[in-house]
Amino acid sequence: MAVRVERPTTVVPWNRGRVSSWLTTVDHKRIGILYIVTSLVFFLAGGVLSILMRTQLATPDADVFSRDSYNQLFTMHGTTMIFLVVVPILAGFGNFLVPLMIGARDVAFPRLNALSYWLFLFGGIVLYSSWFAGGGAPQSGWTSYPPLSVYTQGNGQDLWILSLHILTLASLAGAINFIVTIHNMRTRGMTWMRIPLFVWTIEVYSILLVLVLPALSAGLTLLLLDRQAGTHFFIPSEGGNAVLYQHVFWFFGHPEVYIMILPAMGIISEVIPVFARKPIFGYKAIAISTAVIGFYSLLVWGHHMFTVGMPGYLLGFFMVSSMIIAVPTGIKIFNWVATTWRGNLIFDTAMLFALGFIVVFTIGGLSGIFLAAYPFDWQVHDTYFVVAHLHYVLFGGSMFGIFAGLYYWWPKMFGRILNERLGKVHFWLTFAGFNMAFFPQHMLGLDGMARRIYNYRDVGQWAEYNLVSTIGSYIMGLGILAFVVNVVITRKRGRRAGNDPWLADTLEWYTTSPPQPHNFDQVPYVTSARPLRDLRRRLQEARG
Amino acid sequence: MMLRRRGALGGARQGRKALAVPLCALAVILGPTGAAHAGTGGLTPVDQKSPNVERSTDIYYLILGFSGLIMLLVTVPLLIFIVRYRGRGRSREVEGAQIRGNTRLELAWTALPVLILAVIAGFVFYKVPGITDLEAEASGDSRLEIKVDGRQFYWQYRYPNDVIAIDTLRVPLGQVVELEIGAPESDVNHSFWIPALGGKFDAIPGETTRTSFRADEVGTYEGQCAEFCGVQHAAMLQAVEVMPRGEFETWLANEAGAQRRGASELGERTYQGACAKCHGMAGEGLIGPPLAGNSLLQDRDALEMIVRNGQGAMPAVGEGWEDRQMDALFRHLRRNVAGGSGAEDGS
Ligand code: HEC
Ligand SMILES: [Cu+2]
Repeated sequence: MAVRVERPTTVVPWNRGRVSSWLTTVDHKRIGILYIVTSLVFFLAGGVLSILMRTQLATPDADVFSRDSYNQLFTMHGTTMIFLVVVPILAGFGNFLVPLMIGARDVAFPRLNALSYWLFLFGGIVLYSSWFAGGGAPQSGWTSYPPLSVYTQGNGQDLWILSLHILTLASLAGAINFIVTIHNMRTRGMTWMRIPLFVWTIEVYSILLVLVLPALSAGLTLLLLDRQAGTHFFIPSEGGNAVLYQHVFWFFGHPEVYIMILPAMGIISEVIPVFARKPIFGYKAIAISTAVIGFYSLLVWGHHMFTVGMPGYLLGFFMVSSMIIAVPTGIKIFNWVATTWRGNLIFDTAMLFALGFIVVFTIGGLSGIFLAAYPFDWQVHDTYFVVAHLHYVLFGGSMFGIFAGLYYWWPKMFGRILNERLGKVHFWLTFAGFNMAFFPQHMLGLDGMARRIYNYRDVGQWAEYNLVSTIGSYIMGLGILAFVVNVVITRKRGRRAGNDPWLADTLEWYTTSPPQPHNFDQVPYVTSARPLRDLRRRLQEARG
Repeated sequence: MMLRRRGALGGARQGRKALAVPLCALAVILGPTGAAHAGTGGLTPVDQKSPNVERSTDIYYLILGFSGLIMLLVTVPLLIFIVRYRGRGRSREVEGAQIRGNTRLELAWTALPVLILAVIAGFVFYKVPGITDLEAEASGDSRLEIKVDGRQFYWQYRYPNDVIAIDTLRVPLGQVVELEIGAPESDVNHSFWIPALGGKFDAIPGETTRTSFRADEVGTYEGQCAEFCGVQHAAMLQAVEVMPRGEFETWLANEAGAQRRGASELGERTYQGACAKCHGMAGEGLIGPPLAGNSLLQDRDALEMIVRNGQGAMPAVGEGWEDRQMDALFRHLRRNVAGGSGAEDGS
């Protein structure tokens, strides 16, 4: 007979209540869910933008959008996906999970936490309001290099800057909260080598945010001053330096990539062992590699700038430091693969996304090595090869991880299990569509197709590859639609989850689904990285 | 209580599903690759028409080889484990082997990538001199230095004898051509790139980047501005036309004289490169207002003001031009654009 750790569900579900109770909440679980739901809405918006772009690119000379509109599309798509989807949704997971995973009552500063969420929402609204600004939405790319971004007319660009300023504050508040919470509020017995690997990644994610967000804020401030206050930090004709912005931006921008991938890796490190019915292989190696990746991510920003004319020793330095990052990343991948060895593998949707993550993320990691080798980067920089690479890392990596996390923790968040059949439809459509959409883009880049162009020459097989890519993006869209339907259906008719539907390892599964407002009545003393399994075994032994 | 009980049937289905993952992935990935024919396309980079591109392509193939190896090292064990250790309907209660790690394995998969990356980095450093410092075909052969300016939304080239060319650059076969790439201080960032002849280098106001190539086949090689530069970024195309040496020398000498005399095609080229992308090939208007029939084209001073300084959404396309280029453009505008068709009035 199954031995389960169940607590009676007599408490008032914490996630019920009037709208006003959501507006005023300081409960980390509700804030986490607000984050996740808001990010998912932005994800749909950003997804629609990408489908529109792919529609324009389906044929070489399509006339679906004007040049300006297309430039707005890719600018808003990139900005949305990075600043309004991946980073905040990971903050949402962190919010919901970190206190539960470390056996705490809430985060260290609940009100700061609420402020952080509302700033995030506000920043998002400011960005999207730019569609209505004079001159329309911003149109100089999510990187907004000056001088172009200084000369761009209309207020879309200013709203972009303002929005990112607000989002920066939101992330900073959230990051400080995570760090203080993780350092001070772990339950008894939970040493650093016993905290869940997801919490490890949130720790490094937060430290990186605190270190690099000020650089972004500084760069944005200078940009805004150049645009609106007549300064010339980035205007060469007035003695400014246009490359300076690129340094500042990528000093933030590259760690940002790891900010977006590390927590997704953390999710994978939680999901794979549970669905392999095994402990994670090499806990310490994975934890330490997380910290190492975090450290090195601060030293590689120059690989985004190999073409600006850097001296040879810098080119060499940034190549080697970028390649070094591949080593701890490889360690993680091999450990995940090893975790499936001699397991009892159960292919629920969460696990499918996690396994899919390993495959596509490995491709993304490997294409990164091509880009690190600077003489070859000179060929593929700013082409579709880079577009393919970053989508393999950010969609194949971060988003696959996020979907794995959604299927895995949905029962804990909402008390109901997402439909498995639809989940599998979601996974397979997404996986197939994703590879169809993005793998051919490697070929396009190798064959010389530049990025950020609304039409292209009909040479080689560009037209075919682009068409395949567009069809792939539609298939991905269908996959996402399956997810939306799944969410809607599950809300009313989903199977109810007990406390611990997956027989998992970590403390969040000890409490009710959804958890009671105060999280735990009491927290068991933690003696390993898998407290819940320890508890199950003790109960089993007690029963004989 | 039990989340799910799988019968034998469910287990078998699960197994097939597990196999479908890799097969699907393979099909999806190999599909488009296979569709590509020999030559460029698929995972083959562009044709290489200069030694520096050949050398950076060597780097590409080395990394591609190792990447394939690593991809196999990850996916093959993963596939085997997925098939071999699939649940087969066993309950969730059944635990797998409780293995927590293995130090020797950790060391192995730390050391192997380090080794591979060291080989790759070493190979890059070995190849770099041949890519950045192109050797001449015969010792003592001179180099041709050309200044390249990226501008919204055209490329302007200047030869050592002051010949100006727009968008299409003519070069001699087999001679090392050195490009000094920049942009006027009032312009924005661009990036010069002819894939068959070498990597791209940014044209950033206030900065200078350098690159060189040595074309080894006659022909015209196309490229495109690679750094987003504004509304007509996609129209900012460039090409290099490689000519036999003698033919090139003759052309360059003749062109120098023609440009001095005002008898060259400079005006037409300038219009096509610097104006037509916004005002239309025949001045019919596109992003900017129509120029055909516009009285401003008769007013040399007013026109020059607009062209040199820009106006509203029109960038200062002609900033820094020499008078001969402005003259040539003005002549072309009056003859071919101003009065619509055939308003030939000499000059
Ligand atoms: C980036 C696009 C762009 C380019 C390139 C461009 N123009 Fe313009 N041009 C415009 C726009 C937009 C206007 C309208 C400016 C305004 O708002 O007053 C304009 C206005 C003009 C006018 C004034 C028309 C009038 O009736 O007021 C003239 C003359 C002109 N351009 C000539 C040229 C010439 C000659 C060139 C090439 C040397 C050129 N333009 C290149 C976009 C461009
Ligand atoms: Cu350009």
